[in-house]
Amino acid sequence: MPDSQIEVENLTKVYHVPEREAGLTASVRSFFRRTYRDVLAVKGISFSIEAGEIVGFIGANGAGKTTTLKMLTGLLQPSSGSATIAGFTPWERQPAYLRRISMVMGNKSQMLWDIPPLDTFRVLGAIYGLSSVEAARTVNELVELLQMQNLLTKPVRNMSLGERMKCELTAALIHRPEVLFLDEPTIGLDVSAQRRLRQFIVDYNRQSGVTVMLTSHYMADVMELCNRVILIQQGKLIYDGDLAALSQQLAPFKLVRLTLNIDDPVRALRACLPPDAEILAGMNGDITLRLDRTKTAHIIAHLLNSLPVDDLSIENPPIEAVIDQIYQGEEVL
Amino acid sequence: MLRHLRIIRVFVAASTQQELAYHANFAISLLNALLKLATGWLGLVIVFEQVDALNGWDYAAALAVLGVYLLVGALRDLVLAPSLNQLAGLEGDIWQGTFDFVLLRPANTQFLVSVRQWQIFAVFDVVMALLVIAAACAQITLTAANLLAFLLLLTGGVITIYAMMLIFSSLLFWSPGFLFTWVFDGIFQMARYPVGIYPGALGLLLTWVIPIGIITTVPAQALTGDISAEMMLATLIFAVVALAVASLLFRRATNRYASASS
Amino acid sequence: MNHRGGWALIRSTWLSWMEQRTFFFLVAFGWMVPPLIYLFVWATVAGESTVGGMTRDAFICYYLVLSFVNQVTYSQTNWTVGDMIRMGDFNRLLLYPMSPTYNTLASEFAGKAVMLSFVVPVILGLGLLLRPEVALSPAGIAAFLPTLLLAWLLRFLWGYWLALLAFWLTRTDALLALQDALVFVLAGQVAPVAVLPGFIQTLAVLLPFRYMIGFPVEVLLGQLAVGELLLGFGLQVGWLLVAWILFRILWRRGLRHYEAVGG
Repeated sequence: MPDSQIEVENLTKVYHVPEREAGLTASVRSFFRRTYRDVLAVKGISFSIEAGEIVGFIGANGAGKTTTLKMLTGLLQPSSGSATIAGFTPWERQPAYLRRISMVMGNKSQMLWDIPPLDTFRVLGAIYGLSSVEAARTVNELVELLQMQNLLTKPVRNMSLGERMKCELTAALIHRPEVLFLDEPTIGLDVSAQRRLRQFIVDYNRQSGVTVMLTSHYMADVMELCNRVILIQQGKLIYDGDLAALSQQLAPFKLVRLTLNIDDPVRALRACLPPDAEILAGMNGDITLRLDRTKTAHIIAHLLNSLPVDDLSIENPPIEAVIDQIYQGEEVL
Repeated sequence: MLRHLRIIRVFVAASTQQELAYHANFAISLLNALLKLATGWLGLVIVFEQVDALNGWDYAAALAVLGVYLLVGALRDLVLAPSLNQLAGLEGDIWQGTFDFVLLRPANTQFLVSVRQWQIFAVFDVVMALLVIAAACAQITLTAANLLAFLLLLTGGVITIYAMMLIFSSLLFWSPGFLFTWVFDGIFQMARYPVGIYPGALGLLLTWVIPIGIITTVPAQALTGDISAEMMLATLIFAVVALAVASLLFRRATNRYASASS
Repeated sequence: MNHRGGWALIRSTWLSWMEQRTFFFLVAFGWMVPPLIYLFVWATVAGESTVGGMTRDAFICYYLVLSFVNQVTYSQTNWTVGDMIRMGDFNRLLLYPMSPTYNTLASEFAGKAVMLSFVVPVILGLGLLLRPEVALSPAGIAAFLPTLLLAWLLRFLWGYWLALLAFWLTRTDALLALQDALVFVLAGQVAPVAVLPGFIQTLAVLLPFRYMIGFPVEVLLGQLAVGELLLGFGLQVGWLLVAWILFRILWRRGLRHYEAVGG
């Protein structure tokens, strides 16, 4: 038995999608003999996560994040591969497993709309087989941590999105899960609500030791919460490691800032740079260049030799820019 | 078992609160129950003004059918319809994807889906239905054996209607936008009269395929002692088989959900 | 009045409802079931003899035509008007540069066209299957169309003035449910009016509900003597006038009330 909390081996999901053709004859034909197309959504990904880690699971829309998350929560059968979470195979959906995990989806609600959240918590307590004392204690702790005392008796339909998300978190944590899956938890929240939610996740993780797997389109979420990210692209795992190193490893270019002590720096630079180098915004002789990372050292040596450089620094591009490039499908490896 | 009872209790409590949030529901539900009773009863009185027997059914026996129809319908409206209907339509769990939450619960999915919402004011309908059945009983010579058989077959009828509704709801997983439950509701209205009045193929269809006969006619026959042991046995076997088929289909439907893209 | 906008509205409503036709087919199916039930009930009751002067075939014809008339005259708009007033959607209606009547007409015509495309084939199919013997007189057919039109107008306006009470009451659906129950008993649905027992029959003849559904059917099938026909026609027109007056009064007062409380 593996020591890790989450152990994923070669997980693969192929969807059989019926092919639809336009036109009446084609649709009559496909009624009798359906043709299917295989769509490879997740291609043999493997990773392991230790208990208590907070891991960001990132990738573009359609990269396979949600499919993977659904397999790990037992909502979806994989086509092949294995996963062991807290000693269970998720898609066997054993009650003992489901009691150990929980999921929050930013775009779906598990609250009952017409009544105050306390009543939803009571229903969940019964479903998870908690004693009322136990359930009440957990709810009190969470209410304290989320500062939502004033919300307990307010019907959910009258709440703001941020208020509702606090309720969703309490609902998801009422049975003290060991593993928490967060699918876009901050979607649609305003900036300060996002910040409070992130703070809560950090605090709760520290207090309870819960393992967290998080997907988000907001890089701020990932940067603040996760020491480690898993990046998937078109169903393949392309990076697993800490976030800072991601940009070093994956960014195909470097940013060079420099100050030149001449009148028309842009023209001078054009003259001695290779054609694929980009000159970004420049003011008062301060100029930023975007250079192919493999050629950077060579080009800088050439610049220092041929132009009057006052100041020069080399940086990795900001993480958002790298992620953006990857999401747009540019080859990075 | 105890845990299941506790789950049902909290569902009832939460649903009651939801319903009490809308004050007018109380009076409206009472009015609707009275109207259902009045129109159902008038529907019989007007017919029996003209004849003494409808296809061999006298007034008391037809009243028993109406009573069973109202009772089974009331139980449907009390919990089965409100619970299962949450799956259906564009606001429903399947289309919206909130069915995920049901699957994430450490409890039997079919159980949760079947008892999660209660329309508590349907107890008015239950009371009216019991009154009609009592009125029917007052006009016949009721033996203990008949009453026992009635209770047994009524249970069979309730199981059958549950199985039917579960089958129609399972079909939603293949076509979530189509209101299958409406089709069943429409057909079920026919159960307010003895199934024998429907001729030929329609009668057979309503007895064995969409078995509204088993749901209302057969229990009423048991009450009046107008049923053979073979028919009783066949009915009960049908109910059990229908439940098994429905559960199997529901499982296939949820497995389909678990392999589909969304 | 802006007739071109009105026509465009009717057209677009029809097109979008055709798109969702399975939904409307299901609704139509639900409405068809009660007449069918009573078709079989009365066909069984009549058997080989007659009831209230009607044979088995006469009952079958009566209920097949009735399910058509019921579909044509049923007004789904009445259920939505109350909702619109309550939810404040009524504002949007009043913003259009044309009479809100068009909106109602649009959903009436579109709904009927879509539903009838389902109902008519089903009725014809049932007719072929059950093969009732029927003799229609030209006079019956000639009198049928105007009474059908009046029946639709009457049922529509009657439901509409009830729905307009939503300006003052919160739950008009209770009234509409009550109305449906009265229609069920008195309009010729549970039994043809001629078969109803004494007291209820008198009520049915005097109250407006028969003139919304049952009356045109009786006219078409030639079940009425000339005197009964003329009396019925007079009562139908009379009730229509009553409904129209109530509708006008409630509409005008309702709008004033609506503007006063700000919706």
